[in-house]
Amino acid sequence: MIPYNFQYYQPTTIKEATNLFQSLLQENKSPIYFAGGTEVITLGRMNKIVTDAVIDINNIPACHILEQDDTWLTLGAALTLTSIKEMKKFPLLEKVVSEIADRTSRNKITLGGNICANIIYREAVLPFLLTESYAVIATKHGLKERPFHELFDQTLQLREEEFLVQIKVATKDLSLPFFTVKKRRQWGVGYPLLTIAAILKETHIHTAYSGLYAYPFHCEKVDAQLNKPNTEQTKRIERALQAFHKEILHDIHGSDTYRKFVLKNVLTDVIDTLKKG
Amino acid sequence: MDWMIGKSIPRKEAEEKVTGSAKYTDDKSDAQMLHVKLKVSTHAHAKIKKIDTSKAEKVTGVHAIIVGDSLPLTGTDIKDRPILAYKKVRYFGEPIAAVVAEHPYIAKQAAALIEVTYEPLPVINTSEEAMKQEATLIHENLATYQKTDKVFPEANTNIANRVKVRKGDIQKAWLQSHITIEENYIIPPSDHTAIETRSAIVEIKPDGTVMITSTTQAPYGIKSEFSETFEIEEGKVIATTPLVGGAFGGKVTTQLELIAYIASKAVNGKCVKLTYTREEDMLTAPVRMGIDAKVKLGATTDGKLTAAEITYFIDTGAYADKGTLLTKAVAATCTGPYKIDHIRCDAICVYTNHPYITAYRGFSHSEILFMFERAMETLAKKLEMDPLQFRKKNAIVKGNTSPTQTLLNESSVGNLPKCIDQLQDMMNWKEGVIIPIDERKIRVKGICCSWKTSTISGASSGVVLLFNADGSVNILSGIVEIGMGTKTILAQLLAERLKMDINNIHVQMDVDTKTIPEHYKTVASRGTLLAGRALLKAADDAVEQLRDIASRVLTCSPEDLEVGYEKVYVRDDPTTYVYIKDVCYGYQYSNGHSIGGQVIGKGNYTIRHLSHLDPKTGKGKTGPEWTVGAQGVEIEFDRRDFTYKILKAFSIIDIGKVLNYKAALGQVMGSMSMGLSHASAEAYEFQEDGTMNIPKLRTYGPLRYGDHPEYIAKFIETAHLDGPYGARGVGEHALIGMPAALGNALSTAVGVELNQLPLTPEMIWRKKVGDKFL
Repeated sequence: MIPYNFQYYQPTTIKEATNLFQSLLQENKSPIYFAGGTEVITLGRMNKIVTDAVIDINNIPACHILEQDDTWLTLGAALTLTSIKEMKKFPLLEKVVSEIADRTSRNKITLGGNICANIIYREAVLPFLLTESYAVIATKHGLKERPFHELFDQTLQLREEEFLVQIKVATKDLSLPFFTVKKRRQWGVGYPLLTIAAILKETHIHTAYSGLYAYPFHCEKVDAQLNKPNTEQTKRIERALQAFHKEILHDIHGSDTYRKFVLKNVLTDVIDTLKKG
Repeated sequence: MDWMIGKSIPRKEAEEKVTGSAKYTDDKSDAQMLHVKLKVSTHAHAKIKKIDTSKAEKVTGVHAIIVGDSLPLTGTDIKDRPILAYKKVRYFGEPIAAVVAEHPYIAKQAAALIEVTYEPLPVINTSEEAMKQEATLIHENLATYQKTDKVFPEANTNIANRVKVRKGDIQKAWLQSHITIEENYIIPPSDHTAIETRSAIVEIKPDGTVMITSTTQAPYGIKSEFSETFEIEEGKVIATTPLVGGAFGGKVTTQLELIAYIASKAVNGKCVKLTYTREEDMLTAPVRMGIDAKVKLGATTDGKLTAAEITYFIDTGAYADKGTLLTKAVAATCTGPYKIDHIRCDAICVYTNHPYITAYRGFSHSEILFMFERAMETLAKKLEMDPLQFRKKNAIVKGNTSPTQTLLNESSVGNLPKCIDQLQDMMNWKEGVIIPIDERKIRVKGICCSWKTSTISGASSGVVLLFNADGSVNILSGIVEIGMGTKTILAQLLAERLKMDINNIHVQMDVDTKTIPEHYKTVASRGTLLAGRALLKAADDAVEQLRDIASRVLTCSPEDLEVGYEKVYVRDDPTTYVYIKDVCYGYQYSNGHSIGGQVIGKGNYTIRHLSHLDPKTGKGKTGPEWTVGAQGVEIEFDRRDFTYKILKAFSIIDIGKVLNYKAALGQVMGSMSMGLSHASAEAYEFQEDGTMNIPKLRTYGPLRYGDHPEYIAKFIETAHLDGPYGARGVGEHALIGMPAALGNALSTAVGVELNQLPLTPEMIWRKKVGDKFL
């Protein structure tokens, strides 16, 4: 039960949605964009998201696009994680999203919703941090495209009236060798102790993480240590571990020291899989 | 050949449930109903300095706000619990105020506006802290509380009850012991997480009749508790309970019903509803016990158990409620199912600033068995004996006595050695307990034995059978259908007795204390014994009436008649008969004269010969029969990561008699999954100040679809002669060995004694290499 009233809008074009957002702001309302609705419901009932107007982007056709040509795979932000999981186009992304929440929730959670969520894990971000990807953003002046990794710093850096419409990923990157695993406190459903996604581009391993800090990230310094030439594997992993500059999360899912232990093993698996495979 | 016994009859309420038309408490709704939401404590232990409701009162749609002054104290054995916290709070999440409003969201908005000023008090977070000489008292007035004469709270301490067991001569036994072990164990509190959260609807009629509908396992308990607490005559308290969506002991305590009553009273008796959200259900409602123990065991070098000396500390949380009775249950079954002639056990029930506890499926037995059976494993290792053979050598059998010195016979204790033998075969024990898979992974087996009887007294049940004019029968029983299927079992028992089509037997699912005969409480795996026996007596009563009328129609003596196959027939000439439908509403002769009337069978049953425990020695009998079993798990353990998968879970249970095969299998598989879920993942984690992260299912992880092992169950049938057709209780018994079996398998896999729950990879890692990694 959501303990407050709010207005609900279903625009059918991007222009209509951004205009609506601005006019609601002018009416002193605090609108939010809405796609799957899982966060609005689950955080709304605990008063952790409070809004008086939601703008549902589901009726905007551009947000549901799933297209691929020789250069780009274009994914609409309102595609559900279930439909992403089953698209058979980008194996790394499909595997990563298949570990988010559970099937029933994935039928509602959207790609854009996960990327722009309040939840700290937002694992759908990871594959886009590792590939040549662009975020297509609706602004009050129309659509703009920005490299995903440039726009993403802890969160996707959007102005309040902007919203994510699509993500484009270079077709050449879709089939790169990859490794991903989600480690939990226990069993097969739930939040991560840590999730890692890794790809091999030519001879270089690129890694991105969720569950270690309060946001997903990719760290060049870590990758540099992992790929250091003429260095023993155990050394590279030791140094990579030291390159995580911030304090590792310590919460009910696991302590910081245990997360480091898990991370060490996972990095071994990354190198073993990508370099040997 | 059994007519209906053992057959996998689908549940009588199955169609309602699978089509979604089944109605539960919270489904009942109407526009006039008012709604209640609670303001709960944000401190684990604090004085309440001030409750400011002024802002909340201004919210449009709020009808009343109630705070905890001048309300009676409540509780099971000790009346120590205010309905709403008064002057102080004793646990994080304790109800402080209730808001009654026109809509749940209005009540919730208003509750959020209530401002409470606290003065924090020192927090008791463990039993050890609670037992300290200088410990802060959680109940300063413990000595003044009303209580029953079967509990022994200790004034000016945090001890709510202490139960002692003294069997044999423990000092002598230590001298006879060649090998001893001593270990400490700890299990934190956890939750029931039934799918249906608790809910209550209360209305007070103009004539003072109080109508309560709730998700309770004990509607008749509500009737007597309301009558006593609020001084209402019993006939004016009417409790009704529709289908309940899982309870597991958590719905036996009366909590939100009491709040809903005072809320209704505050709005002139209007109908009010209070439904807990998942978070409230986990935080505010009573939880499952935490417990810790010191276990010392002795044996001779040839592996014969000589002595057990155990101290259990039961963390009852902020209030005694069922904690005192759980303490009795802990003491009464203080060991595993073994012949031990010398036992000394103290079970001590201590107050802490945790949520208070209530029953949980197994009523403390899975906790005790985790500790005791882990100790057995440690002792077997020290003896260098095969753990299975060690258990078989000491298995309790007829002629032995229980820890409370009850002499056991085959009917009361069943056949544990046979269960162990079957487990040995089914787990392919001769293959070994550690089987390498690859350089990282091993397959490992762990086992344990289990037993349970109930800890109840004065438990009785009544059943009424109403015949319909077509010869079909309606069963009226006060058992609450909490998902275990006992009401279908009752129909099977009646079908068996009357040799009739089970489709012509209708079971009243909803319970109404005004019109349905009393059934003690739907707890302790006692439904089939209590209501089953009452039903068989009611069936005999109905048979006698049918034979009486039929004898006049068939002009013979009633003694010559049998009832069955929809007829009343002459025993040695079945071709001479009258249909039941022609006599069950009386009989009309051809001349128009009528005799008899509707056949109404009635019967009741009380468990015989149970006794209180002697305060000095614990001698006494707490339950009728024991259900024994041998259980095991097979896991795949990753030696690098300390993670594991549970591949298979085994339960060999002496069930007495299988009444409904698939229903029994469902009980066993379901309880195995709950046991494994608890053992592997479930716990409340308190911070130092006794608060915790608001518990929710996102972070509190019961097993999900895909996490389950293969469940393998087998039944042994050693009749319990008092049980209907020989059946024993089986609602909890496959749960209780699972934590121990898993703990034993993992301890073997890691080579370290894992003496606490939950068995998470991090805990195992910490025990094995945690310090070295740092």
